Amino acid sequence: MGMLTLRRNRKNETGNSASLSGKDTDSETKRRGASQWAVAWRRFKKHKSGLFGLGMIVVLLIVAIFNTVIAPYPARPAPDALKPLYDGEAAQAPSWKHPFGTTRMGLDVFSEIVHGSVYTIYVAVAATLITTVLTVAVGITAGYFGRYIDELLMRITEIFLVFPSLLLILVFARIFQLGNAEPFYSFLGINIPIGLTMIILIVSIFAWAGNARVVRGEVLRLKETEFIQAEKSLGASSWWIMLKHVFPNVLPQIIVLATLSMASAVLVEAAVSFLGFGDPNTYTWGRLMEESYSDMSTTWWSEVFPGLAVFLTVLAFNLFGDGIADALNPRLRE
Amino acid sequence: MGFVKYIIRRGIYMIPLIIGISIVSFLVMYAAGDPIQIATAGNPGITEAQRDFLRHYYGLDTPIPAQYVRWLTHFLQGDFGQSLYGGRPVNEIISFYLFETLKLQLISIFLAFFISIPAGIYSALKQRSAADYTISGISIAGVSLPVFWFGIVLIIVLSYHMGLLPSAGAYGSPKLWPVFGISDPTLDALAHLVMPVTVLTLASLAYNVRLLRAGMLEVLRQDYVMAARASGISERKVLYKYSLKNAITPLITLLGLSIGASLAGAPLTETVFSWPGLGRAYVNAVSKLDFPLIMGTTMIVAIMILVANIITDLSYAWIDPRIHID
Repeated sequence: MGMLTLRRNRKNETGNSASLSGKDTDSETKRRGASQWAVAWRRFKKHKSGLFGLGMIVVLLIVAIFNTVIAPYPARPAPDALKPLYDGEAAQAPSWKHPFGTTRMGLDVFSEIVHGSVYTIYVAVAATLITTVLTVAVGITAGYFGRYIDELLMRITEIFLVFPSLLLILVFARIFQLGNAEPFYSFLGINIPIGLTMIILIVSIFAWAGNARVVRGEVLRLKETEFIQAEKSLGASSWWIMLKHVFPNVLPQIIVLATLSMASAVLVEAAVSFLGFGDPNTYTWGRLMEESYSDMSTTWWSEVFPGLAVFLTVLAFNLFGDGIADALNPRLRE
Repeated sequence: MGFVKYIIRRGIYMIPLIIGISIVSFLVMYAAGDPIQIATAGNPGITEAQRDFLRHYYGLDTPIPAQYVRWLTHFLQGDFGQSLYGGRPVNEIISFYLFETLKLQLISIFLAFFISIPAGIYSALKQRSAADYTISGISIAGVSLPVFWFGIVLIIVLSYHMGLLPSAGAYGSPKLWPVFGISDPTLDALAHLVMPVTVLTLASLAYNVRLLRAGMLEVLRQDYVMAARASGISERKVLYKYSLKNAITPLITLLGLSIGASLAGAPLTETVFSWPGLGRAYVNAVSKLDFPLIMGTTMIVAIMILVANIITDLSYAWIDPRIHID
């Protein structure tokens, strides 16, 4: 415990707790008042572009949650209902009645984007959860155990990192498209689109490699620090150290990587759907772009606005991710 | 001597990797289902006997391990098989598209590399200036930009509304030249390159600038930079010789990776601009599940990437004398 006392003294001198471990600060929150997270939040509040990103994410969440209220027109009744839904209003340019215009089929583009936002959130959250679990498992295991485990995991990571993943994602997406029988799986009254879930799974499996390398590097650095060495010499088990000390210390890094993963998951899903390899039963933004692709010389709005939604969402996650990276990682901030 | 040994050792390491990638790709594709069934699904007049004939013709009626061995022996002799659609040799298809893909990719990669160096250095030097915010802002927007959407916007504005540039393909018919005020084939090829190159350059430029800016910020803080400045070495030399050389390694890695991966083409950009390249051919092959073509492209890309990786690692030693090859 001598090491911990030493560290506390040093911390009080510098008055900077942000780079210290979550465990240390938890036990000290009451005494010192500001936890690592409070300090980070205070710093984040000064980060204008990060706040702007957060604001855009909040707007997206509100739109997704209240999609039925916000959208002037209902979601499409059945998959691939190709008959014009709103007769006589096809291919109209943006107006007050149809802010983003209507498609050649007569669908209100604004409503379609609002309904699609639900899928965007699903993609961002689900893909990031899976990616993060893989990242943490591989990164911490490789970094902490080292030697041949590290060697093996890093070689596998390299293959994932080096290969242009979009190529393989397309192959897998196409295979699942063919094998997909049931369009939805009902869970607690919510219809979960199976095809889209498969895409999310595929995208996540090809997304963790870079992140895992970063986490591994961070763990390698931590492993040499005094308090982990002290814990080891006290005879703590590997799992205990990983769970109680290594994980809380790499958590800031993991949060940053997770936010950036949301951005890339949304981007990749849009690309896969745009190329025609998406879930035929869900109208994600990429899917809307695929549908209107052949009309871009006439009803350009039906192509441009869904893409703009993708762009702004990805931008929001990236800005937010940059903001929290700066807030959580004072070392990176000059 | 160590140099040659190093290359040989890395080359030997590549063999199990390539065999592994090929086995996995092979299994994945054959798990997808019967390619003949898929290929002939749109043809109601075909009989089961004719399907059997096709399966036999393409060697799909033997057990999968036997098929793999057959594929591998042909592959090692440089024969990638035939496309399931039209029966053209895969080698021929790949070499047909390869030139157009490499033209597009290499121009964009090098443009992005050389623009990012001054932009990244300037951004890092004038940290928190208006110029830095502008450069950083453009690069984060560039990272977030869906390339296919950006391409579409360019086509809508520059081709459909302003009629400035051709929207599709790598070459246009001479009859269309007057529309864009073009008089000779070179200009025609260049006019077709403008938009796809812009899209691809912007996409990789954004990553490069962010990487270089972060690297330069780190290096400029080092003591040896201050020492160099204090001893009166010209700022130009301090920046390009002392700082850039240390900050550029991650950018070189990225350059190596992108040159390796460039063979895969840019599936999205090539599709949007109807570019006659490998990326678009690959997307088409995947949507039709044309296995021999997918396998051929995948293997060529994998080998190119592994080779590019070795070259990248060698280039580290050239840039940074502290790194030893052994």
